[in-house]
Amino acid sequence: MRILGRVVSTALITGLGLAGVAAQAAEDPVATRQAIMSSVGAAAGLGGGMMKGEIDYNPVAGKSVIATMRAASIAYGDYFPAGSDQGETDATAKIWEDPDGFAAELAKFSAATEKATAASGKDGPADVDAFKAAMGPVFGTCKSCHETYRKKN
Amino acid sequence: MKKALIVLFVLAVVAAGTAWGLSAPTQISAQEAATLKEGDAEKGELVFWAGGCASCHAAKGAKREDLLKLGGGLRLETPFGVFVAPNISSSETDGIGSWSLVDFANAMTHGTSPSGENYYPAFPYTSYARMTEGDLGDLYAFMKSLPKVEGKAADHELGFPFNMRRGLGLWKRLFLDPAPVIASPVSDGEVDQAIWDRGRYLVEGPGHCGECHTERDIAGGLVLSRWLGGAPAPTGDGRIPDITPVEGGFGSWSAADIAYYLESGFTPDYDSVGGEMVHVQENMARLPASDRDAIAAYLKAIPAIAPSN
Repeated sequence: MRILGRVVSTALITGLGLAGVAAQAAEDPVATRQAIMSSVGAAAGLGGGMMKGEIDYNPVAGKSVIATMRAASIAYGDYFPAGSDQGETDATAKIWEDPDGFAAELAKFSAATEKATAASGKDGPADVDAFKAAMGPVFGTCKSCHETYRKKN
Repeated sequence: MKKALIVLFVLAVVAAGTAWGLSAPTQISAQEAATLKEGDAEKGELVFWAGGCASCHAAKGAKREDLLKLGGGLRLETPFGVFVAPNISSSETDGIGSWSLVDFANAMTHGTSPSGENYYPAFPYTSYARMTEGDLGDLYAFMKSLPKVEGKAADHELGFPFNMRRGLGLWKRLFLDPAPVIASPVSDGEVDQAIWDRGRYLVEGPGHCGECHTERDIAGGLVLSRWLGGAPAPTGDGRIPDITPVEGGFGSWSAADIAYYLESGFTPDYDSVGGEMVHVQENMARLPASDRDAIAAYLKAIPAIAPSN
């Protein structure tokens, strides 16, 4: 019963949290997509660090990286409504000039994370080589989108 | 800015009228021509990637083997007008297939065409002028081995007075100088001179990094005192970053970080390369690791340029 209570309250809190996110997302899509991309960056930092051997590999961490990428790849494209090309954003005007091209890049991102998620399984990739094999294609999609749809750097 | 540019160019045109000789396109000397020799195509391929030829002369969005089809056509939209990259494939009629090695060297190091016209510095001969005869000979051999692409690219779209090529002879007198930009390493630590020299050659010569990473003055010449200190993007929006070892900026990248970025396209924070730098990074990834290390060693030992204003 105690466990059920905890599950229910966790669900409630999560639900409230999500409602809050939805409100914020509608109000400020730029801040929302930047928060999503910074979670991608943080996950890439952890994943890349493990791939380079700077951080010890751990399947739980590997799974977390892949799950973060997966969630971002599904959600990210929703936060580019018309008019959100203004203000403090690194998004290029091409996102709105060529929505099909942008959608194709997002599709590549989510296709790569879908495969990585499948490879990750219940316990995460068993070792760093399995992790590299799963994450390599995901990392490959970063620059193909940034080449055109993010202001240069 | 635009007005001032126009005034300057009108002045340049007047000067060209009174001193026509000063604007004559220059060429390599007879002595230099005599020592040039066609080299090794295989070595030339590395020079080709180091020089980034395909980034402008292959079709937009080209990848893999399509990068070797140099039909031109890419449009560079700049404050001076639109430059269209020409066909430099081995086609005799539409590309450079009929060029001699001397023609090629004149184009690469003097910005002068076989018929004695000035090229616009959108073609970065101001950097290529620093290339060795050996690399030019190898590159020439490699370019001859590439596929012929039929069809000339469109003309540049430039208004008066920028459409007057002759006036560029004066521009070249001011800004075309094959001397090294940074004379010697600037660093508190120890620097391996041979590695740094190789890095300098790649960055200042074929890699032509300064063409985008250094700001330009009102006449379009590089401000060498702010070498690699970042600049407004020459095409499109955004800013090309400062890649000098400046505190609070690029200085926080280690040499290994720089080399890894050039190899993989990822920054130390695991942000990815973007924009036109994607082409550059993919070219650099084709070079031997020792060359990427040399570029990193050079970039760690040049004067730091603080952001302006």
